[in-house]
Amino acid sequence: MTNSALQQFERDAALKAADRQHRAVIQKNIGTYNIAVANGRKRFADWPGSDQGWQNARSHAAAIKWETINHLDRYLEQFEQNVLANGGHVFWAETAADARDHVLELARRHGVQKIVKSKSMTTEEIHLNDALEAAGIHAVETDLGEYICQIRGEPPYHIVTPVMHLTKADIARTFQEKLGVPLTDSAEDLTMIARAKLRQEFITADMGITGANFAIADTGMIAVTENEGNARLSFSLPRVHVAIVGIEKLIPRLEDLALLWPLLAASGTGQTITAYNSLIGGPRREREADGPQEFHVILLDNGRTRLLADVEQRDALHCIRCGACLNTCPVYTNIGGHAYGTTYQGPIGSVITPHLRDAQEWSHLSYASSLCGACTDVCPVRIDLHHHLLHNRRNAVQRGFDGLIQRLLFRAWFWTMQSPARYAVAAKLGNFALRRGLAGALLKPWTTGREFPAPPQQSFRDYWREHERRP
Amino acid sequence: MNVARDNILGRVRAALKVEAHRPVAPTDAPVFPPIADPETRFRAEFAALRGEIIENAQALRAFVGGFARIATDGAELTSQFVGEPNASVRDCDLGVTGCDCLVAQTGSIIVSTLSAGGRAMSVLPPVHLVMARREQIVADLASAFTLLRTRYDKHWPSAISVITGPSRTADIEKILVMGAHGPKRLALCFAD
Repeated sequence: MTNSALQQFERDAALKAADRQHRAVIQKNIGTYNIAVANGRKRFADWPGSDQGWQNARSHAAAIKWETINHLDRYLEQFEQNVLANGGHVFWAETAADARDHVLELARRHGVQKIVKSKSMTTEEIHLNDALEAAGIHAVETDLGEYICQIRGEPPYHIVTPVMHLTKADIARTFQEKLGVPLTDSAEDLTMIARAKLRQEFITADMGITGANFAIADTGMIAVTENEGNARLSFSLPRVHVAIVGIEKLIPRLEDLALLWPLLAASGTGQTITAYNSLIGGPRREREADGPQEFHVILLDNGRTRLLADVEQRDALHCIRCGACLNTCPVYTNIGGHAYGTTYQGPIGSVITPHLRDAQEWSHLSYASSLCGACTDVCPVRIDLHHHLLHNRRNAVQRGFDGLIQRLLFRAWFWTMQSPARYAVAAKLGNFALRRGLAGALLKPWTTGREFPAPPQQSFRDYWREHERRP
Repeated sequence: MNVARDNILGRVRAALKVEAHRPVAPTDAPVFPPIADPETRFRAEFAALRGEIIENAQALRAFVGGFARIATDGAELTSQFVGEPNASVRDCDLGVTGCDCLVAQTGSIIVSTLSAGGRAMSVLPPVHLVMARREQIVADLASAFTLLRTRYDKHWPSAISVITGPSRTADIEKILVMGAHGPKRLALCFAD
């Protein structure tokens, strides 16, 4: 079977897996992350030699998200009602195009020329920046990592750490080339260059666009988690604030954040809680000093209800986008974030992308996993990630996405394995072929970068027969 | 009337006719360790985040004296201890505000549009000074939400931020840099 997404994945994954510099950069980054996360988990209640507090936190979080997702209609309506009562607006977007068109319509209505954006994977998902640029509206990414991505013309490499794949030197060269500043080897200098540049953008922007980490049903607020302050500036200074929120972001109560904020921080960066966690529940009120005149929430479906309808994999909608499954995944850390070719990378991306986008085109991602289960072990909301990858493989076969050659091979394997005699013949043939040096040709692409060990002269069956007779 | 809304909610309801498998149930065991002395804990957390605590009136005068252009939220506590502003929030070296409460568990300062002079005053200035009282320290995030709900329920401020240390980023090689977009320094002075 051929398709462009698969071919590109195979090409990019092979390139990155063999790129030593890429490997070194990622391992250094993930190494720092691992140390921080180990410390972050110590902030949860603990008994000597156990991590029960952390495990219980995961169970609580899974229960909160289960309750929300399995009563999503009720919580969406409650959220909408409260946003409206707070003086905000709610727009329901069935597709990415609906969401983009609504942002453009709002921008036109308010005469918007410049937009400041804080980090939002949902806006990446709907390719909002391209649509804005096409309409002649300048949209500036203000999260440092996203800003670097934007001026390089690259998509984010990671849902939490957008430029995990770049070194200080790479970024310094980008700044020299794109911003005309001198080279520096200081991360602080680079940050201050971006700070000064973006400050002007904040002051002059007409509209601020954010995502939301959570949408709180019982108060009609969105919650935004960050460290830099760019999200706070984005919803404080411009005239209009638009938040683009996937419908799965709902949580029932404000109080749930007492658990979810520390849990997200512990898994995302290893912090106790991130530097800024904000709740926005409407436009500027009468007695307030400042703030936008209008607050708009766009509730986005874009395939999420398809995933909701899959009872077996519904818990994939519990995801709080912490990035822990990416960081622990042996496949992600070898092939990198860009090879996936998706908005959401790593195990969670491989699970949800076939649901959110075309199931056939993205079915190969289910195989971008060793099924080791490390992702499931670290998931703070207990999503059964590696089993879902297996479910997606099964679903793809049931729907006939596996292609003729694969189907014939499996049928032959099935036929062979049903009879000891047929198996014996096949094993002899296989052993013969491998000893004649045909391994390289037969086992490609596995053997492209590896040598296949020479098989022993005697098969296990022969060995067993011999030794069974002489106890 | 609203087709997209009806369609989305219709699909949600159709999907939810079958209930998903329930996850492992949580136990009654505590999730976070207990906090013995909130003030001690707050001070330790705040210092670890590189927050600066101003201990007395003399130190406050010295700190404030280091800034030429000062913007404030104009609240009673601020005016009493820092005086009147001489700059706007967009054009100051220091922003001074009050807060809703302080959280010992995380070393956080909770501000809102009502307690801190709007949205920009606690994030736009390069340095942020918070005037607070010791009695504003609560043990954990759960107590902070209880306090906020008691104070504001049904009349919420339009924005609330839980501030935990100065602005920071580690986007470049995971190297910690203070002052990404928000205040580079965060100071707290207890007025009592």
